[in-house]
Amino acid sequence: MLAMSKKVKIVKGSGGFGGPLVIGVNGKKDKVMYVTGGHKPAIVDKICEITGATAVNGFETSVPEDEIMVAVIDCGGTLRCGIYPQKGIPTVNIMATGKSGPLRQYITEEIYVSNVDVDQVSVAGEEEGAEEPSETVQQTSSEETEKETETEQKSTYSKDKKIMETRAEQENKSLLTKIGLGAGKVINTFYQAARDAVETMLHTVIPFMGFVALLIGIIQGSGIGDLFANIMSPLAGNIWGLMAIGLICSLPFLSPLLGPGGVIGQVLGTLIGVEIGKGNIPPNLALPALFAINTQNAADFIPVGLGLAEAETKTIEVGVPSVLYSRFLNGVPRVFVAWLASFGLYK
Amino acid sequence: MDFIVKLAEGFINLFQTGADTFIDWMGSIVPLVLMLLIAMNTLIQLVGENRINKIAQKSAGNPLLRYMVLPFLGSFMLANPMVHSLGRFMPEKYKPSYFAAAGQFAHTSNGIFPHINPAELFIFLGIASGIQQLGLPMTDLAIRYLLVGLVMNFIGGWVTDFTTSYVEKQQKVKLSKKVHVEG
Repeated sequence: MLAMSKKVKIVKGSGGFGGPLVIGVNGKKDKVMYVTGGHKPAIVDKICEITGATAVNGFETSVPEDEIMVAVIDCGGTLRCGIYPQKGIPTVNIMATGKSGPLRQYITEEIYVSNVDVDQVSVAGEEEGAEEPSETVQQTSSEETEKETETEQKSTYSKDKKIMETRAEQENKSLLTKIGLGAGKVINTFYQAARDAVETMLHTVIPFMGFVALLIGIIQGSGIGDLFANIMSPLAGNIWGLMAIGLICSLPFLSPLLGPGGVIGQVLGTLIGVEIGKGNIPPNLALPALFAINTQNAADFIPVGLGLAEAETKTIEVGVPSVLYSRFLNGVPRVFVAWLASFGLYK
Repeated sequence: MDFIVKLAEGFINLFQTGADTFIDWMGSIVPLVLMLLIAMNTLIQLVGENRINKIAQKSAGNPLLRYMVLPFLGSFMLANPMVHSLGRFMPEKYKPSYFAAAGQFAHTSNGIFPHINPAELFIFLGIASGIQQLGLPMTDLAIRYLLVGLVMNFIGGWVTDFTTSYVEKQQKVKLSKKVHVEG
């Protein structure tokens, strides 16, 4: 191990999750990629300083996955916090997000650490050699292949498998077996789907519901509600105000900052919903309002989404401004068309 | 003394209102969304990802399929964020446009099919809960949201074709328009 390439130790901040990660430059992996809506967090500089890695703004360009040493993100718990761990890339989140979002099963302590600020980043002692995540991945996959070869030995019933699994492998299945297997498969699929759905509800929907309910409680119980009503009703209570909200949210320099986690949109939606419930905003305006609060939709996610589409670096460089411009061009017309479509709703 | 009691009551009241809202949702929205999620997850498992990939390959050539049919089906079948992975079947030039459309379908269909984007459900539900409070049906809103989305998201994708050409000229690069059949 070269003395000059020091490793960096990153621990979780208070209320954070995961870690500690110990990472350093390793062969081709020498880039710190930050996908944080454009600005460069201070920890990126510190990590680069310690390890000698190069900082790359993932929002402007893309980096081949095998050159990323660590990804730095600011995800509030929807998508990005799971995407890099899924690809086996160590991930540092500036926000205090734990295991959440649709890819939460990939967020583990070995590869992910959150609520990180400059104080959580330090030089690692040499004795704490980092375990390369890629190696562990390879190990598990080779173990799996071993398992598969073991179970290939032929016998009527194997102790490794349930009767159903053995039957499924037999070549000449009787009709009854086929029906049984089919029914079993469907029921298992339902059961697994139910498990996934409950997981999503528990870890993603209900926490947000709690947050929103508290917000509503404070707004309505404290009298701030009346203040909000005075601001929101003229703004969200007519089509011009809604188009103004849509315009502001779609401004190309603002939209990537409003995007993360859809949190801004969800809070705005809740505020407008409260006013609709109180009768301060006519219910048919709910439709244009849905479009107005979300003209920034996915603007923060463009490079990651294009990455999922296996786009070339060139495409990402063109795609980010292109989508921001098109969101801006579309934003207000969407609200207007939605308003036209809202005639006759709830009359 | 009375003053302190009043203050404490006011303080607790903040949370009681929130708690009432929360338990109301737990009784109405949560079970409904859960049942929908289970049904949709099952359907997706049974239909399988391969079929939707085949549709994606065939959709690359035509704007209407590319920005309306595919992102709609894709967001339904693969949900957010994996709907964006279907973009890999598109020529480089159209990838930003596909992303623009697919990102919006992850919301406009979410009113009726909450499995698409449960993490950002409150964009719809925040507003729709006001409708519910008035005793009006949410479904009317959800259907119009989906239909307006269907048209406007297509236009959004299509407009992105032009902004992409504009940025291409700005940056003096040319993105390939060739459809490659193999993903």
